[in-house]
Amino acid sequence: MSVEEVTQQTQDLNIEKPSTVLSDEKEFQLKHPLNSKWTLWYTKPPVDKSESWSDLLRPVTSFETVEEFWAIHNAIPKPRYLPFKSDYHLFRNDIRPEWEDPTNAKGGKWTHQFWGKTPDIDDLWMRALLAVIGETIDEDDSEINGVVINIRKSAYKIAIWTKSADKKEALTRIGSKFKTVLKLGDDAQLEFLPHSTASEKHPQPSLVL
Amino acid sequence: MARYTEEELLQLKPEVEVPVNFDIDSFRAVIDKVKEIQGLQEEEFQHFHRRRSSHNHGKPKIKHLKPKITTDSDGWSTFDNMARRKSSVVAGGSGTINGSDEDAPAKEPVTIAQETLRVKPNKNISSTKPADSRDIVADKATNNFNAFAALESDEEDD
Repeated sequence: MSVEEVTQQTQDLNIEKPSTVLSDEKEFQLKHPLNSKWTLWYTKPPVDKSESWSDLLRPVTSFETVEEFWAIHNAIPKPRYLPFKSDYHLFRNDIRPEWEDPTNAKGGKWTHQFWGKTPDIDDLWMRALLAVIGETIDEDDSEINGVVINIRKSAYKIAIWTKSADKKEALTRIGSKFKTVLKLGDDAQLEFLPHSTASEKHPQPSLVL
Repeated sequence: MARYTEEELLQLKPEVEVPVNFDIDSFRAVIDKVKEIQGLQEEEFQHFHRRRSSHNHGKPKIKHLKPKITTDSDGWSTFDNMARRKSSVVAGGSGTINGSDEDAPAKEPVTIAQETLRVKPNKNISSTKPADSRDIVADKATNNFNAFAALESDEEDD
């Protein structure tokens, strides 16, 4: 049998292609897998003095595909709608969004504070999420552990948590990309704070971009 | 390693709402409840820490005159509330509706006389004694009845 004949016979088989989100937004069969499973956490602001940190920090849901991510992102309230003292955390696998977690303990975070109202904070947070789950911010290994947004009365803070705090070159590359993702100009500062200094009263950044 | 650029991920974003794998209504309810509590706490905070209204600062300071009381040699005290102001003048309708002052007769300002109240302090006001010692004299009969004089006058009438 010639190549042409095989091609013809294959075409004649009329195999139905599985639908994707592009062909059917609701009834799609194929999903785009992400590199890792990601868990969304939410820190509820305290409304009662008896509530402890462990009561306030709770996992919301997990996802492993692009489609699941969008379904969750579209459903949950955007940062601008959240009450003050709320946090969203998106962390890889089962890493807890705490610096005491073994995966975070030797790491640190690139952080930037957006003072004032920041009308485009929802968009900046979405860009940070896409950069993290799409793994485009991290060229080499999976250096990124998670990404966090803090909603406060006077400012929003977005931080990207890394596994290590001593790989200066790799961290600088990540920081530079993160600065682009957050649309920060040259005058805006991005600071890297190792988690080892988290308990200090006024921790000094080990890197500044 | 599966990688997706921002553009690729945005292409896969559905326009319609897709069901999620957790109870989104409960999650939203928690957030709404916290917002409601925070709103009430903020309202309470502002109620107790609100700034003083500034409208009192511009209020003119009214100096209340101290009533002047003078006591004369007879023991009479004079209460003069307007010791400094001799009289009050009221513009008695000098203005007109249309401002035509020529048509309306010019009225003289009305001068309100300041009344002076004379009060004598009396220690006996609550006792059985007469309030004013001069009243004792006033209560006495000033003319005695003269029967002879009365008879004489009757005769003349006839």
